[in-house]
Amino acid sequence: MLKKLTFGQYAHKDSITHKLDPRIKILAVILLSATAFLLETYYKFAIFSLFVFLLIMLSKINFSSLIRNLRPFFFIFAFILMMYILFSRNELDKGIQAIWKFVLLIIIASILTFTTTITNLVTGIEKLSAPLKLIKINSRTIALLIALTIRFVPALFLYAERIKDARLARLGSLKSPKHVKLLFLPLLDRIFKSASTLSDAMLARNYTEKRISYFSAIGLKNYDYISFTVLLAFIFLVLLM
Amino acid sequence: MIQIKNLDFKYEDELILKNINLELKDGCYTAIIGANGSGKTTLAKHLNALLMPTKGSVTIDEIDTKKDQISVRKKVGFVFQNPEDQLVYSIVEEDIAFGLENLGMRTEEMKTKVNSTIKGLDIEYLAKKNVNILSAGQKQLTALAGILAMSPKYIVFDEPTTLLDNKNKKNIMDVVNTLNKENKIGIILVTNLLNDIKYAKNVIVICNGRIIFNDKKSKLNNKILKKAGLDA
Repeated sequence: MLKKLTFGQYAHKDSITHKLDPRIKILAVILLSATAFLLETYYKFAIFSLFVFLLIMLSKINFSSLIRNLRPFFFIFAFILMMYILFSRNELDKGIQAIWKFVLLIIIASILTFTTTITNLVTGIEKLSAPLKLIKINSRTIALLIALTIRFVPALFLYAERIKDARLARLGSLKSPKHVKLLFLPLLDRIFKSASTLSDAMLARNYTEKRISYFSAIGLKNYDYISFTVLLAFIFLVLLM
Repeated sequence: MIQIKNLDFKYEDELILKNINLELKDGCYTAIIGANGSGKTTLAKHLNALLMPTKGSVTIDEIDTKKDQISVRKKVGFVFQNPEDQLVYSIVEEDIAFGLENLGMRTEEMKTKVNSTIKGLDIEYLAKKNVNILSAGQKQLTALAGILAMSPKYIVFDEPTTLLDNKNKKNIMDVVNTLNKENKIGIILVTNLLNDIKYAKNVIVICNGRIIFNDKKSKLNNKILKKAGLDA
């Protein structure tokens, strides 16, 4: 299952969403996520979900990939639902809505990562966080940190799976806390080694905190402005309903 | 030319490299061999200014690694053992451009350079692929492309084939040989696999942080290999 994890993985397609400026997509994710938190009635949930469904269609994203992204969270959803059933059955609606919001957030974030390459994402975050320079926070470092997190999520799960297999091959078990500890310690060791090599590899390619040129130069076009206006109008309408 | 004079390197009070003296000429193909823990990777990292000498000096075309790391790294590329850990961006062509962005190359020039590098290595089919789905051999070629795009004068390969199968090993070693023969790029190959040094002209053998052999490959004998712990 871990090998099939696709979270954070860009999929090259020819779609409108792929062509949008990354800054517009990042802002859209922030606004849509905030709106999802403000949804209260099933009617609003349905309309909002329909809009998200339209975004998936426009982005030409494979549904099975989206489901795979959600699968690791099924345990959390089941846990939340169980808690509401056991301790607050009269507020079960709130539990269902909380899970629904969670699912929407994951899908919205997935649309961004499926349709935006890491370079574009880094450039977008870098440009949006440029004002932070005023308080001496380097925007490229922040952007690269986020990008590397996305880049290495699948690798992290792969390392975990290899260590787990090695444990099981020697008749280990992952049922007791002691054995779980034995899984995490080598994983942490592997992560630190990878981070050390990566930082050397970046230095070897002359990485500096200041970037003056871009492989994928970004720029706002007419359809970026139109898309953002449509998004704002939709959010406004949903909140007014 | 790469010159190393009286190099000592200490890490946590332990002397890892002891009195290293070396000269590597332009267009050289030199293999640095030694057993695990002998200090060969530590020595290689000094060539790219990733490590600084505790004593002595390392100069690349008369540029001291202690004084100008950026110029040194423009001249000396470094390909690491594990390709998984050296790719920064998720798309092949974007990762290849990472070093060029750092050099401040203009976007159009960068695209031309990335395309020509991809074509040169015959990996056009990988250009738009996600690095996470590549095989180890393809990842190593991507890492090499990222270095080649920066047009280095020398490339250090730190055990580049250890994690590869035989077919990919041969492919990478053939590419390295072509870079040396046709592109006149100086190659410094760090390895503990004797099969990998078949194209090397000179060999340096390191044992316990000291150079015990530095000569033509033809002069390498079993006695030296045994001393270095590399005999079969």
